[in-house]
Amino acid sequence: MKKARDGEGISRRTFFKVFSGAVVTGAVGAPSKAAAARPGSFATLIDLSLCDGCAGRETPACVGACRTKNEGVVPEPVDPIPKPLPRGRIEDWSKKRGVKDRLTPYNYIFVQKAVLRRNGTHETVYIPRRCMHCDNPACATICPFSANHKFESGAVVIDKDICFGGAKCRDVCPWSIPQRQSGVGIYLHILPTLAGNGVMFKCDLCQDLLMEGKTPACIEACPQKAMLIGPREDIMAEAERRAAAMGGHIYGKEENGGTSTLYVSRIPFEELNAAIEKGPGRPHLDRVKRKMARTDPVASAVITSPVVGLVAGVALAAGARLVSRREEGHE
Amino acid sequence: MQQAPGSFPAGRKAMSRKGPLKADLIRRHGIVVLLEHWAIAVSGLVLVITGIFELPIARRYYITELPGLAWSGDYMTSLALHYAASVVFVGASVFHVVYHGIMGHRSILPRRGDLAESWQVIKGFIGKAQEPPFHKYLPEQRLAYAAIAVIIAGLVASGIVKTWKNLFAPDMDYTLVLWATWAHNLFFVLFVLAFFAHMAAIVIKPNRPLIRAIFTGRVRRDYAEHRHPLWFAEIMGERGGGTGEQAGASPEDGEKGDNFGLDAQEGNGEPAHDKGGS
Repeated sequence: MKKARDGEGISRRTFFKVFSGAVVTGAVGAPSKAAAARPGSFATLIDLSLCDGCAGRETPACVGACRTKNEGVVPEPVDPIPKPLPRGRIEDWSKKRGVKDRLTPYNYIFVQKAVLRRNGTHETVYIPRRCMHCDNPACATICPFSANHKFESGAVVIDKDICFGGAKCRDVCPWSIPQRQSGVGIYLHILPTLAGNGVMFKCDLCQDLLMEGKTPACIEACPQKAMLIGPREDIMAEAERRAAAMGGHIYGKEENGGTSTLYVSRIPFEELNAAIEKGPGRPHLDRVKRKMARTDPVASAVITSPVVGLVAGVALAAGARLVSRREEGHE
Repeated sequence: MQQAPGSFPAGRKAMSRKGPLKADLIRRHGIVVLLEHWAIAVSGLVLVITGIFELPIARRYYITELPGLAWSGDYMTSLALHYAASVVFVGASVFHVVYHGIMGHRSILPRRGDLAESWQVIKGFIGKAQEPPFHKYLPEQRLAYAAIAVIIAGLVASGIVKTWKNLFAPDMDYTLVLWATWAHNLFFVLFVLAFFAHMAAIVIKPNRPLIRAIFTGRVRRDYAEHRHPLWFAEIMGERGGGTGEQAGASPEDGEKGDNFGLDAQEGNGEPAHDKGGS
């Protein structure tokens, strides 16, 4: 009986040693860098020195083309729209479909206007705004139903058929891009007052056109050729070239960990950000970091945890057998 | 006083005093099993709670306004906690399979006839039949183990795919992402149901003496003797014709090896009653 007790003491120490060693091994071996965009995917460039907001037109060409392309995407909401419990907050844009000066479930691109006073003169800059199609988009990766996904093309696309409209994507998007239409979607068929509240809508980079080898509607329609799409590496290089040529700045390259949309501007984005109207559906131009980056180290530990468990299991079993053989030898 | 298997209540009377002495207890689980169980149990509960907060419900349902739960509406915080608990959950699960696999521990794996015997046991619970004599685990426990093992395997596999996607491959094949996501959601529901079933099992009176074992590693000797006579016979060495001491001395024998008290007892639980009492 004494021997068994001694054995237990030794093995407990062995167990803790093995376990802590395995944890350290796992931590050292953990990957440290999160995903970057895949080579060969698309990126877009928006050259603010070329965009004139389609002066003289009632609707900027990009906005008009986008609206035409996406007409009918939002199903007709049920009437009345069920009140989501307990807050009863309904977001219904179906009676304001004509709104074009902000993002809505019916409007996936709009043109922001920044009026600045620089060097004694007034300057006006027009900034087409839509989803940035981030390289590692939290809106897509942490959607609880994977209704939102980043495709190899680089486009981040919401599947309106499985989206519950919980707006988690809008909460985690640094620019709050996705917009909710209540009274449509799958939630109506499950627990409409208790879970979900519609469907989220946003720019999908005309993924269907991209798959056909065509150009997104907004880019195709731009009379100023202020927007470009192409292989990511080419667009990155072109953005750098243009920025260098005009002594300008780039927005979207580092923001939120990198995006597939690069704005090029002669005027610093901090100044543009200060001059634009911001609020719901009207995103800022802040230098934002990727919030999810702070979960990366512990996510890496999750990936290595099976190895830690494996090493600890093998080591402890081997240790247990070794000790038992020694004990047998003593008998 | 030899009683028929399953006639445990009579045994309980024999134990009628304030609390059993250590002499009346025998070892059922070693420290490894206890650590595994509680690592998986505690991390599993954290995973369930933080997993629920991955749904957009905390703010909607005013959970964020409850004392101490303001963090529940911050998806990055709940995700970080979910990951942290996963490290323990996944590590402990893999350790469990590897360690007990190598050690040849088999007593909790389902056996032929467990389904039929389970029905007999359920009838026993409602007084319609007498319980059959048990090994270390009830047939229900062996089946429940298999069920929870499948659920945990599903959660771990789908969770690792999702984590990999979050870290390294947001543009992972969409079909794979959908499978992983929906498998994770489905296994989550099954995990919660399994947890409630697990709790329900200890509400059933004849099972209650086992509660002590999952906290202390030991059960009352008379309980083991009368409800688990097949296991008791093994640990007392009757099966091998030897003594209890001898039975504990063969770690090579997978069912019998007690691994020095680390994870007693597949078959042979150390007859831990200190002779002479405490």
